[in-house]
Amino acid sequence: MNLPIVMRTLGILLLCEAAAMLLPVLVALFYGDNVVLSFLLSVLLAFAAGLVFFSVKVRDNTVGYREGFAIVAFGWLLASVFGALPFFFSGAVSSYVDALFETISGFSTTGATVIPDVEALPNSILFWRSFTHWLGGMGILVLALAIQPALGVGGAFRIMKAESPGPISAKLTPRLRDTAKLLYYIYLVMTVLCVAFLDAGGMPLFDSVVHAFATLGTGGFSVKNASIGAYNNTYYDVVITVFMILAGINFSLYYLAFKQKSPREFLRDEETRIYLAIIAVYTLVIAVNINGTVFSNVLTSLRYAAFQVASVITTTGYATADFNLWPELSRVLLVTLMLIGACAGSTGGGMKVIRVHLIFKYIKREINRLIHPRAVKAIKVNDTVIPETVIANVMGYSLLYILIIILGTVLLLTQKLDAISAMTAVASSLGNIGPGLGLVAPSKTFYPLTDFAKLFLSFCMIVGRLEIYTVLALLFPQFWRK
Amino acid sequence: MKVIIIGAGKVGSQLVETLLNDKHDVTVIDISQEIIDNFTDNFDVLAIKGNGVSSSLLREVDCGKADLLIAVTDRDEANIVSSITAKKLGTKKVIARVRNPEYVKEQEFMREKLAIDYIINPELSTAQEIMRLLFNAHTSYAEDFASGRVRITEIQVNHESELTYKQLKDLNLPSVIITAITRDGEVIIPNGSSYIYPRDTLYVMGERSNVDAFAAAAGSTITSDRIKSIMIAGGGRTAYYLAKNLEQLGVAGKIIEQDHERCRLLAENLNNTLVLHGDGTDLSLLKSELVEQTDAFVALTGYDEENLLVALLAKQLGVKKVITKVSRSSYLTLLETIGIDNVVIPKLITAGDILRMIRGGRIVSMSLLIGGRAEVLEIITRENTPVINKKLKDIGIPPGLIFGAILRNGQVLIPNGESIIRSGDRVIVFTLENNINNVNKLFGIKGRF
Repeated sequence: MNLPIVMRTLGILLLCEAAAMLLPVLVALFYGDNVVLSFLLSVLLAFAAGLVFFSVKVRDNTVGYREGFAIVAFGWLLASVFGALPFFFSGAVSSYVDALFETISGFSTTGATVIPDVEALPNSILFWRSFTHWLGGMGILVLALAIQPALGVGGAFRIMKAESPGPISAKLTPRLRDTAKLLYYIYLVMTVLCVAFLDAGGMPLFDSVVHAFATLGTGGFSVKNASIGAYNNTYYDVVITVFMILAGINFSLYYLAFKQKSPREFLRDEETRIYLAIIAVYTLVIAVNINGTVFSNVLTSLRYAAFQVASVITTTGYATADFNLWPELSRVLLVTLMLIGACAGSTGGGMKVIRVHLIFKYIKREINRLIHPRAVKAIKVNDTVIPETVIANVMGYSLLYILIIILGTVLLLTQKLDAISAMTAVASSLGNIGPGLGLVAPSKTFYPLTDFAKLFLSFCMIVGRLEIYTVLALLFPQFWRK
Repeated sequence: MKVIIIGAGKVGSQLVETLLNDKHDVTVIDISQEIIDNFTDNFDVLAIKGNGVSSSLLREVDCGKADLLIAVTDRDEANIVSSITAKKLGTKKVIARVRNPEYVKEQEFMREKLAIDYIINPELSTAQEIMRLLFNAHTSYAEDFASGRVRITEIQVNHESELTYKQLKDLNLPSVIITAITRDGEVIIPNGSSYIYPRDTLYVMGERSNVDAFAAAAGSTITSDRIKSIMIAGGGRTAYYLAKNLEQLGVAGKIIEQDHERCRLLAENLNNTLVLHGDGTDLSLLKSELVEQTDAFVALTGYDEENLLVALLAKQLGVKKVITKVSRSSYLTLLETIGIDNVVIPKLITAGDILRMIRGGRIVSMSLLIGGRAEVLEIITRENTPVINKKLKDIGIPPGLIFGAILRNGQVLIPNGESIIRSGDRVIVFTLENNINNVNKLFGIKGRF
């Protein structure tokens, strides 16, 4: 393990984070919040730690697979540890564990909160809370990559591969730094558009910005206790539904569509087609299910169904209604959506549509093999052959995903949680969604959970955000052996 | 005409043979001394050992003065480079054989930007030929001329057919012409007193509907049901192109291929075709894949013998339409006796493609029949064409040359001795190979572009 380069890269990350925390300082000064000192202290600590890490002497700047994994996993941990400081210092939360939970929930774009009354928090804290979503959505290291000078050959790509969601990572430009910049540029433009649409509809500018961060990052933190539902405004619901769906699409497609000047690129992509189809079908079924029982009017049912479906499949976790109170069919359907998640290469979490799609293709091939034992068949997506190694990886990933949910549920049952609450809490954290069912329903918070449960769920969030393997590799003894 | 051929393989030698019949000057370049010696011994050509890519060699053979260069070595890239080089050195027309499927999409680019006049892809042409055989109403060969108005068809005469043991003059032919009969591998140019025997193959030309009516009367099975399923033995390039074509028509195809790597490659490049790893001659595999229920079977392995065997097997299992690829035309006489009727011969198809290109000009369409021993040409006449404005009986038509149809003002005329060809007519002519020069003389074709 080339420890110096790992330290140095982490140093750059902390310096970036310190700089990012200056933004809420400005917000605090603007709104006259009395938490300026908490932020400045956090900035100082992050800056000092960053400098110490950065000053490590680097002889060899090659980043191998191990270093890539280590940088990403420790990077996320460190960013969360320092990002939690403002919450802790300002007294927004009661303990450091809660602060850490809130920050990890933010960076991993989960959106589960331990703060029962967010409306009482100062604006700068609310800003930082949602800003973590925005940073974590596209990847904090991708951001650092876009800014920092180039690492050794292949290093940057290894980091991006370890951080970006989906089974296959691709560069869009010859230089990875340009790809990272490009992705952030698209991300920024979409965020600005979302702010503009919300603001134009009458939402206060501050609320618009904070909600746009959480929408595009598919996080889910709100400035209202009742989330977006607090506004009870159809226009906001529609705008946020649309932008959540857009954030759940592979960001490379925006680049392709822009380059080819044709929106058809989206529909030419198999994953996006399936993703949109899932949203449409689920919305219809759930709307029929809740029409008459929860809502009396078809259009209202459709509006709430679409919002909740988009919120869960993109793993945002916003709520305009407490779906915990919906009929059993709708609740279970939403849990299946939690498992599926958004598209690869988006800011969303979950298992990813492409993986589920590949699993179904694999099953189809296996059944076909029973009928034609001698058949040789390749699995293709978008007319491109998916290598068998990727298929095996996807199968392994999916099994691991389910396994973690089962084991995590068992573990949480020891923490005074019922089966439904425990299961959905783990699935929701692993998929970076936010709310679950039962005790962790959209109308409730994670505040009453034990510290152990909070730490375990935080771990699940990072594991889910970094797509399991990156973190799991570090837990293997072989990883550390020479 | 001065022609340079680079690469003297199967297609190369077939071309040499045909071009010599047409009285062209042929230079052959090949890297193998053995092949060069063989050519010098057997043909009246200039055969030179060397690399056809080399510009100095091309200059040496005076390719700047050549009318045509045909690059048919076994390497696509070498063929492309040779043709580009020759074109730069001043050769009038260049033809390159390019068979890699990845280059199929590049054909237009090669023609337009690289100035290669004609790209031949034998496997692709063979696959297209098979497609024509599969989706034509007749069991055997049929080709249309004059924009589909005139058809020439190969008809197998049945034992039960009313035509058998009769003289042609006694048949009430609905204005079609029997241009040739093949019997036990022999080509006969019939006249009124010729008899028709069972198992004869007739080459019938005339207006399309009349030909179809005649084919029906002759007891030639007309499969009106469209082919919906097809099995292909051997997964080479031809099979790949064929499967691609079938996929476009929505026909479910199965390919059986022995080499696992090749299977994977096919599976990766095809979408709806089922690729099976196994031996095409393995009866249990064929049966487990329900060969007897498939509409057509195509044998495309690399071995003629295997193709013939597996085709017979498929026929025996009851497949209605069986098509066999044969590389060596020496087997051709044998085929009829063992009952294989649908045969494709890639080198003849390729040679046909090239000849069509060479004769070009006023020959609109051309096709090789009976294993290359006969041709059908569609020619547009002009003011200065020698045959016009004379009664056909006065022209002195040599035996083996038949005027099959005349297309004038959109009307199809079946000519007789009293008929007169006018300027601007489209004439469809059937000729034996050794008569090609007579055709050229009659129609004033000098083999120029």
